[in-house]
Amino acid sequence: MECIITIELGTNGVRVFAFDLSGHVLHSMKGHYPTFHTDPDHSEQDPEQIFITTLYVIKNLLNQYIYPKKYKVACICFSAAMHSLLAVDKNGNPLGNAITWADNRAKKEALELRRSTRGASLYAATGTPIHPMSPLLKIAWLKNRDPERFKQTSKFLSIKSYIIHQLTGKYLIDYSIASATGLLNIHTVAWEADALQYAGITAAQLPELAPIFTTAGKLKMAYQQSLGLPADVKILIGSSDGCLATLGDGVKGEGKATITIEDSGAVRVMGPTVLKDDQMRFFNYLLTDDCYVSGGPTNNGGNIFDWFARQFGDFTKPFDIADSMQLLLEEASKIPAGSDGLLFLPYLLGERAPIWNANARGTYFGLNIKHERKHFIRATIEGILYEIYSIGKSLGEQRNIKSLSVNGSFGTIPFCTQIIADMFNKPVQLRREFHSVSFGAWLLSATEMGLYRSLDEAARIVELPDMYEPDQQHHAMYADYFGIFEKLSTKLFDEFEAIGNLQQKYAATKTVTV
Amino acid sequence: MHQFVLQRGKSAELRLFPHISELGIKKNGAIQLNTFLSTATDDIRLYYITEGKFGWRIDHQPYVLYPGDVALILPGVLFGSDDGVLEIGSFSWLHISMQKLGNGHLLPGKWSGLSESEGAAIGKILLLNYTPVLSRFNEAGKILKCIHAELSGHEIGYQTRVNHQLDELLIQITRHMTTQNNPCRDFPKTFMHLEEALRRDLSYQWTVEEMAALVGMGTTLFTERVKSYSGFSPINYLINIRISEAIKLLKRPDISVTDIALDTGFYSSQHFSTTFKKLTGYRPSDFRKNHLHNK
Repeated sequence: MECIITIELGTNGVRVFAFDLSGHVLHSMKGHYPTFHTDPDHSEQDPEQIFITTLYVIKNLLNQYIYPKKYKVACICFSAAMHSLLAVDKNGNPLGNAITWADNRAKKEALELRRSTRGASLYAATGTPIHPMSPLLKIAWLKNRDPERFKQTSKFLSIKSYIIHQLTGKYLIDYSIASATGLLNIHTVAWEADALQYAGITAAQLPELAPIFTTAGKLKMAYQQSLGLPADVKILIGSSDGCLATLGDGVKGEGKATITIEDSGAVRVMGPTVLKDDQMRFFNYLLTDDCYVSGGPTNNGGNIFDWFARQFGDFTKPFDIADSMQLLLEEASKIPAGSDGLLFLPYLLGERAPIWNANARGTYFGLNIKHERKHFIRATIEGILYEIYSIGKSLGEQRNIKSLSVNGSFGTIPFCTQIIADMFNKPVQLRREFHSVSFGAWLLSATEMGLYRSLDEAARIVELPDMYEPDQQHHAMYADYFGIFEKLSTKLFDEFEAIGNLQQKYAATKTVTV
Repeated sequence: MHQFVLQRGKSAELRLFPHISELGIKKNGAIQLNTFLSTATDDIRLYYITEGKFGWRIDHQPYVLYPGDVALILPGVLFGSDDGVLEIGSFSWLHISMQKLGNGHLLPGKWSGLSESEGAAIGKILLLNYTPVLSRFNEAGKILKCIHAELSGHEIGYQTRVNHQLDELLIQITRHMTTQNNPCRDFPKTFMHLEEALRRDLSYQWTVEEMAALVGMGTTLFTERVKSYSGFSPINYLINIRISEAIKLLKRPDISVTDIALDTGFYSSQHFSTTFKKLTGYRPSDFRKNHLHNK
């Protein structure tokens, strides 16, 4: 019997799934790797630890669950978080840690470029919003602030490119990850000359571009032996987590959108054309050279509810945040939709789409003497979801969204999914086992292996069994409150900036108090 | 309780307790100048506030202490108040001499009933988690009171009971410090804290008990939480970090494979080589060759 292994190089760790050839999960395992914040704006990961963790998890999964059942691995397919950057020297050895999407060090470069006409033309060409997350700006930062490392760099890789290079010796980057670097022209599918010039690099310093179906070379002998894999195992380069989550939910075709809410979140659509936007609010990434995954990302998803639970939740057992969240959800469900008029702006981490304001901050608004603790819980959840709705609403200006699917650990909490259905006034579907990204990687692998004729055909088999229908009354109420949410989000622009500045100013003079 | 001071060498009460260098109670009715000057000693010093409010400087940082708080000063750390001012209020204190090992680790002396490994773990955690002010730590006050009572009462078995109380104090301090640093809410943050401690001292032969104690958890719960959060058992996660660090060092030509093995916490280069090959398929020396002269 043959099986397919998918490897998801995520923000907090690696997830490895084993599927059979009909798309059933045989088993999955994860391995955590840390993010280092040596400076508040820095967010880095150790490429060697990512590599070792990945090997370790694959090895454990194969030895404990796959080989004992006599499965043979036919294919290994990769997915990864977007926007990572790793500089390597001429021997392919890392120059420092990998810089992740959450890194904000290039904020000054981003602000300047975003305000320039060059920024607008680069956005139109590359589809990647001008933001510190973009590798384009990270490379520019290295050039300006770390010239020694910049000079020694032979290649600028993504984390996935590094892992693939370790395994097969090839420097490759797939279309999806490449289209999220801010360096790729998404219309011609070639490195964008003006972006290279802005970053101060040549195309030779980037890995070779490869469609998502590319076989990324042959697995090195040493890893064949240590992992017990056959020499002919296919190493598929795969795509990005965002693109694969969209594919995995079957969002290929008209009228569909998918909402992902993990720690952060996004609303995405897929189609043959890009979303053009003068305000540069949306991303346009490539799945294949004729299929774009477009949408808007938010910084403030499940991590904000995590924050709330840590601060205000009850911990009956030490460190049991899941239990604490469950109690909060039970309390929130006792409050009517709309939280009796208590609104929450969830911008604790600044915000990307649709307002793109790094200075934005969290706000509870409309508080009156009758509000209780329970209202805060519900308002917090509703605020996170109003923000998701505001992205969806702006996408709706360009695409006619008829149905929605939801994935990600926060979005698939039934309480949250129902609120999403009510806010959007659309039916929402989801899968009971939550692995849209890996399932997308399976669809990709299965298509490559000839089980389906095309990704379109593969996407059509996706069944999302759970359905949430919108409640009209709740929808009308949410729509009313949303008007105020939306206004506040932009109206407070000056005050967000002022309070952000003060927070920064007084953080510097902080003294130790017990 | 009246004011008093007992000092090693001067006070007969301490003759059986050479590890206690000083203890006492102070009630300060008026602000005094030039009495509470900054000093550093080889003892572990502990000050428990019962009344008033004291502004003290520990390790160059200013702190304000209130009743129920404990100032904990490790050997070599500067402690006192600016200009030697002593404010109005009461506190009791205790100075204990610890054994200091070559690697800087602290151990309780022979007087202690703690097992060797628990004594070592406590000494290590005090250094790694060092928190100069332990807030709302009334247990410490109770233990000090009990020691005072035993020392003045001289009842049968008091020598053993005083030493028991000292052990109890060390255990309580360690537990209080770890729970204060890890409020049992944010496991990712706690895990990050653990990870940093492991990386700072990777050559050390960590046990699961020590890792769990470092973040203030029992080993059963600790192992379960680490496994569900990281996907690995604590020891396997540690091996993971060890190999990752070893890879980085192997890519630099200036350190021998044997040194890398020991620096990253393997018993021997043989142990390193076996573990490394099992995971990566390469012997460390071959891995190094491949990466130093790639193309």
